[in-house]
Amino acid sequence: MTAAHPSPRYSFATAIFGLLDPIPFGFFVATLMFDIIYANSANVLWIKGASWLVSIGLVFAIIPQLINLYAVWFSKYRVRMRGDVANFWLNVVGIVAAIINAFVHSRDAYATMPDALWLSFVTVVAMSIGRIILSGRNVTYKEINHGQA
Amino acid sequence: MDKLEQNRRLKLGAAAGLALLLAACSEKASIDPSRQLGSNPELPKAQDFLVPPMQVPEGVGWKGDARPQVVSGLRIEKIASGLLHPRQLLVLPNGDVLVVEANGPGEEAVTTPKQLIAGMVKGRSGKSGKGGNRVTLLRKKAGSTGEWEQHVYIEHLHSPFGIQLVGDTLYVANTGNIMKYRYVPGETKMSDPGVELGDLPSTVNHHWTKALLASPDGKKLYVGSGSNSNITENGLEVEYRRAAVLEVDAATGASRVFASGIRNPTGLQWEPQSGKLWAIANERDEIGADLVPDYLTSVREKGFYGWPYSYYGQHVDHRVKPQRPDLVKTAIKPDYALGSHVAALGLLFYTGTGLPAQYRGGAFVAEHGSWDRTPLSGYQVVYVPFENGMPKGQAQPVVTGFYSADEKQLYGAPVGMAQDAAGALLIADDVGNVVWRVTSAGQ
Repeated sequence: MTAAHPSPRYSFATAIFGLLDPIPFGFFVATLMFDIIYANSANVLWIKGASWLVSIGLVFAIIPQLINLYAVWFSKYRVRMRGDVANFWLNVVGIVAAIINAFVHSRDAYATMPDALWLSFVTVVAMSIGRIILSGRNVTYKEINHGQA
Repeated sequence: MDKLEQNRRLKLGAAAGLALLLAACSEKASIDPSRQLGSNPELPKAQDFLVPPMQVPEGVGWKGDARPQVVSGLRIEKIASGLLHPRQLLVLPNGDVLVVEANGPGEEAVTTPKQLIAGMVKGRSGKSGKGGNRVTLLRKKAGSTGEWEQHVYIEHLHSPFGIQLVGDTLYVANTGNIMKYRYVPGETKMSDPGVELGDLPSTVNHHWTKALLASPDGKKLYVGSGSNSNITENGLEVEYRRAAVLEVDAATGASRVFASGIRNPTGLQWEPQSGKLWAIANERDEIGADLVPDYLTSVREKGFYGWPYSYYGQHVDHRVKPQRPDLVKTAIKPDYALGSHVAALGLLFYTGTGLPAQYRGGAFVAEHGSWDRTPLSGYQVVYVPFENGMPKGQAQPVVTGFYSADEKQLYGAPVGMAQDAAGALLIADDVGNVVWRVTSAGQ
């Protein structure tokens, strides 16, 4: 996500993005946790919970991912910063894995395992790396603009 | 540039992976249904899917004078229409016919996103039409042909299915209890408000039907109690007294598990030659279009028939945790496979003489029809020949034509069956909301 040179329209998209983008990541982390607990306990409460988490996470991902797609590839104001493209593709990997994972979670009982666990892991790792790459950039931003961020 | 190249490769890889995985979903049946009939069905390897095979024709009912097809030598007529999801039939000694009209109580909580979607897909077929929660009495109009008189006989039931008459006691199995009424011949409305004989397992009600059969001496009632899940996805706790045939004491209502491991037992019947208890069962879904064949089997006291841990004897189902190899070892292989996903819901050992000789001595099985299979399977009534109390030979379709040739529209679906006073075969059709009567063509 590129936040430089905002136009009024752009800043609205930025706000929406900032608001919605963390939600799916949280849902996917929770999915992974629930999957780990189910894999170890075989208590269906956890896998049913995980199937809601991954599905709802995907619904919340639609708008921020579209904004990200536009910002990175199509916006005429785009100024790609270091890590934007890598973060974009890491998100693609994470979301694709999550979509497959939502279907895997629709299987009954332990037929979800171990596929669900691995897919949750891929989603969380891919999106985590993307976030780490971007946060590295934010540090530079902070250092240049003392105290503003 | 390097990074972009790498990303492009990643994207291609992901796309290819997704395509492969999705391709694995649209699995068509590959085994000829005839190889899954009889005592030794061919069983392919179990698969896990992203989207299980699903094909559900749209329920449209019978237009005008349209009717199912019967094989040559037989004739079919409509004796009742406009019913509310007729499921089970009982012929009374005076020739009246009771029709149990019901559907699931719709009390199963939506606990996964999949249930939301599956509910919508299955709803299209008309199989989830609202049930009447009542019993209707049909009486033949003296000296006339065509549809029989209809009288609302018992109302305000709770998803009833099984019905039996012992002497002057009429038993009706709701999804959660067995009700007992005093039967007065000739009445067109039940005058007895009824009393509860005993309770039946009624949490969740994933499978809600409670088939009912009285012992020949009337002292015991046998109840088919279906599982509370496809394959334990609702937890093992809710499977207590489920996937079992229960034996209920008719005097006290006390019950015990008579046989277990039968996923959804219905059509409880006494095989006339051996006097043994038989049932049909709906087996598990979502491990392949050709798995697992539904079956017809004798039911042994204290027998374990595999569910959920294994199917067709010792074929282990890996979806169940924890596994129980100790129980799998004891699992009894069912006697006769009816084909995968046919959804057998009606069984009748034919003892009359009204139908041609080739239909005597064996059993009719009503197959309500598949949702987890492409192409469709079931949606027919078949005849299974018996010899010395055991099935012998291939099941033959007798009544067919319940769906359109392009498999898009569903006219009807057969469920419960009975043999009427004249030896005709009666079939309840809960999508067409009709009762059909099959006789010899000569009559």
